[in-house]
Amino acid sequence: MKAFAAAVIAAIALGVVAMFALTSNQTFAYQAFATSGTRVSEPGTNLVGPRWNGLPLLGDATAEDRAKVQGEASHPKRS
Amino acid sequence: MRRAVTLFSTLVLATTLLAAPGAFAPAQAQNPQQQDGMNPMGTKPTADSVNEEFLFKQADKITGRVSIPDRKSANLIQPQGREYRAFRESWLPWIGGLGILGMIAALGAFFMWRGRILTDDTQESGRKILRFNAFERFAHWMTATCFIILSLSGLNYIFGKRLIMPLIGPDAFGALAQWAKYSHVYLAWPFMLGVVIMVGLWLKDNIPNRIDWAWIKAGGGFLGKGHPHAERFNAGQKGVFWMVAGFGAAMGVTGLMMLFPFTLVDINGMQVMQVIHSLIGIAFIVGILAHIYIGTLGMKGAYDAMGSGEVDLAWARAHHDLWVEKEQAKTASGPQLTGRHPAPAE
Repeated sequence: MKAFAAAVIAAIALGVVAMFALTSNQTFAYQAFATSGTRVSEPGTNLVGPRWNGLPLLGDATAEDRAKVQGEASHPKRS
Repeated sequence: MRRAVTLFSTLVLATTLLAAPGAFAPAQAQNPQQQDGMNPMGTKPTADSVNEEFLFKQADKITGRVSIPDRKSANLIQPQGREYRAFRESWLPWIGGLGILGMIAALGAFFMWRGRILTDDTQESGRKILRFNAFERFAHWMTATCFIILSLSGLNYIFGKRLIMPLIGPDAFGALAQWAKYSHVYLAWPFMLGVVIMVGLWLKDNIPNRIDWAWIKAGGGFLGKGHPHAERFNAGQKGVFWMVAGFGAAMGVTGLMMLFPFTLVDINGMQVMQVIHSLIGIAFIVGILAHIYIGTLGMKGAYDAMGSGEVDLAWARAHHDLWVEKEQAKTASGPQLTGRHPAPAE
C-alpha cells in the first residue's frame, strides 16, 4: 500500500513538474507569430490601440475635436 | 373605360415579355463565355489555365504566400487532411470500440468457461516469499496509475463527444475534456519514466528462452490443470513486458511529436503520428485489459505479487517453480523470504 501511495504521489508531483516545464517553454500565438507590421489576435493591443473608436483623427484637430472622437464608438459600414 | 384600361395593361405586359430577351441580347453578346465554357469561336479559353488538378501534379498540397512569420498559414488545400479526418471520424471509433469491447467480451467468456484459476494447497501454503520489492512495486504502480488516466483521457478524444457530451452537455464536457487533456499531456511524463524504470529493472528476467516455448506449447496452465515450468516471468508475462516496452516507446515517441508540434515533422507527419498513436493506444489498452484480468480476477493469489509484494510459496512454486528454486538456493536463511515464516532452503 505504501508503494502504491508513493507511486501516486510521485506521478502527481512529476506531472506538476512537467506542467511548469512545458508551460515555461510556450508562447502565445500572438507573440510567436507577430511582426512589427502584423498582430495576430490579442484584442486591445492591435495597431490602432485599445481606445480606437473608428473615427479619423486628423493632424490639425483641436482638443475639442479629439474629445469628440474619444466619445462613443461609431459603427462604420462595411462595403 | 375599365375594360379599356385592362386591355391596355395586358398589351403592355405582353410587349414587355416579348421584348425582354431582345433587350438583354447585346449584354449576352459581350460575354463570350457559354454554359459549357466554349466561347462563340468554338474554343475553350480556360482549357490551359491553372487548376486544382494541375497544381496537385506539382506538389501534394496547394499553398499561397503570407507575410507573417507563421508560414504554415499559407497552406490552402491539403488532401491528406481529408484522409486523416475520415480515419479520425469514421474508422477510429469503430476500431476502438470493437477492439476494447471485443476484449472485454472475450475475457468474460473465458471467465465463464475457465473460472478463476486456483492453486492447490500444499504444505508450503501459508508461507510467503517476496516476489517484488518496494521499488519494483512503486515503478509498476506509478506507470499503471498514469496508464489508466492516459487511457481514459485518450479514449475521451475518440468517444467523449459521442458518448459523454450528450449526457452531461457541452459546457460540462468542455471542462472535462480540458482537464482530461491536461492530465494526458502532463501524466505522460511519469508514465514514460515508469516504462524506462521497469525496462531497466526487469529486462534481464524477460529475455525469451526455450522454457518459454515449452510454456506456450503447454498452454501456460490456462488450458489444462497442471502448470508448466517457469522462471521469474513466464512467456505470457514476458509478452506483457515486451508489449509495454514496445508500445510504451512507440506511444512516447509519437506523443512527443505531437506535444512539440512542427519540431521534427510537419502537419502531415503529425497526422500520421496521431494515427499511429491512436491505433497503438487501443492495442495497448486491449492488451493491458487482459493483464489486469489475469492479475486480479483471473488468478487467485496473483494480485499479492504487486499488492503486498509477497506471494504464497505454494502459489510461487506452482507458477514459477524454477524461480523459487533459484531464490531458495541463494542462501540458507533466504533473504527473499519473510522473517515470520521462512521457507526452508532446498
